[in-house]
Amino acid sequence: MIPNLEIKGTRDTPEIIFDKENNLFEIKGNSLPEDTTKFFSPLFEWISEYIKSPNKSTHLICKLEYFNSSSAKMFYEVFLEFQKIAKTGNEIKISWYFEPGDKLIEEKGLEFQSILDIPFELKEAK
Amino acid sequence: MDIKTTFWFFDRIKEDNLCLLYNGNFSDDITTKFIELSEYNITNINSLSKMKKKVSFLMAECFQNIVRHGEALENKVDVAPNEGFFLTKNWQDIYYITSGNLIEKKKIEDVKAQLETVNRLDKEELKVLYRQVLENQEFTEKGGAGLGLIEMARKSGQKLEYTFNDFDDKYSLFYNQILLKSDQEVINASDSEFEIGEAVNYHRKMISENILIIHKGDFSQDSIFPVLQIIEQNLQKEKKDSVSKKKIFHILVELLQNVSHHCLKEGTKKEGIFMIGESEKYFVINTGNFIRNEEVDKLTEHLDYINGLNGKELKDFYLSKLRERNIPNNGGAGIGLIDIARRLISPVNYSIQKIDDMKSFLSINIIA
Repeated sequence: MIPNLEIKGTRDTPEIIFDKENNLFEIKGNSLPEDTTKFFSPLFEWISEYIKSPNKSTHLICKLEYFNSSSAKMFYEVFLEFQKIAKTGNEIKISWYFEPGDKLIEEKGLEFQSILDIPFELKEAK
Repeated sequence: MDIKTTFWFFDRIKEDNLCLLYNGNFSDDITTKFIELSEYNITNINSLSKMKKKVSFLMAECFQNIVRHGEALENKVDVAPNEGFFLTKNWQDIYYITSGNLIEKKKIEDVKAQLETVNRLDKEELKVLYRQVLENQEFTEKGGAGLGLIEMARKSGQKLEYTFNDFDDKYSLFYNQILLKSDQEVINASDSEFEIGEAVNYHRKMISENILIIHKGDFSQDSIFPVLQIIEQNLQKEKKDSVSKKKIFHILVELLQNVSHHCLKEGTKKEGIFMIGESEKYFVINTGNFIRNEEVDKLTEHLDYINGLNGKELKDFYLSKLRERNIPNNGGAGIGLIDIARRLISPVNYSIQKIDDMKSFLSINIIA
């Protein structure tokens, strides 16, 4: 079993919970690190391990308040990695939350939806 | 405020390690951020580390003065109570703290008298006066400044500079400048490199061009974060909807991180200038930084290309860049400007002026 990846959120980096055992995959908060590559590299390492033997059904939840353009690039890369799960015959689904009236986050979700080949749903947060 | 404003300021403050100018509202949250920003700056300059506490203390004292004077104003309807001017700059081993606020004309004589008294006294005499005022509050009843001014003089060890400028029939702007030197050597105001009159000029320019904040200095994340938060606080007070606030915040982050990623680095320092102002309906944001001459052509091409695209084309270009699998090694993604351009009401206005054989100065001006 691969160990959980848990990163606490800060003012400029998101909270990450990747927990295979409890089937919990969440990205929350703000993402505008100065060096995006550095922040995201442990995520890629974890995912590349995980997709070797993924859970039957993986549901990634994204609840972002704000993220910069270089984080957008990284999220796309993260989603592409998760997308590989679909090829293994297992299920992968992404839920993208946005606050009511938050056009920026909603728009970013729609963009990802348009360029990914896996179920990607937009949900207005209550 | 237009694209030329950037260099107007930059040229005057280019030798400063930090220069922060603010023309706006003073709430507790905002003043805390100013102190945070200065502390970060001081921490990064070894020779100044001993001044850290003093600078924070004196800044807090200045803010209290601005707020106290504001609250004491009559007819608050026509004059915003907590509005004021604030400048902090670090040049070599000197720290300057300047504040400006409205004062009723009839109070000027009292405040002047207090300043003259404070400036006449030596260290020991100031200590005695401080005790006296603390015990019977005599000074305060006359003008409302009181202990603050005495503390400023005691902590800085320098004479206080001040000037009064007409605002209208009833009010004047009262400016007050403190300097701090790391070795405690006393400087005559007239020998100082930065006179209070220059600060007044900056304030005038900020008022006439409707500029809220100017930051010149380090653009690493710890340095720009307090600035972003100061602006966020100000945006909350604006009567604009939350969508546009987030849009402005996004544009700011991208522009500021662009400076940090692409500016010409001296050592580890990422240096540039940034300002935000308002026009009637929109926000105006300017940035300025040095770039290497050999980067000029590529950047010009990129900006001209972006400026030639319409909304739909920009979106497609953005998505195609998002899907590219290479990631630049400077920590950015190379898509910031494209994403910004999608949200502007006019093209990205820019100018590049050659400084010497090695570097050019890039100014960017956007309206959102």
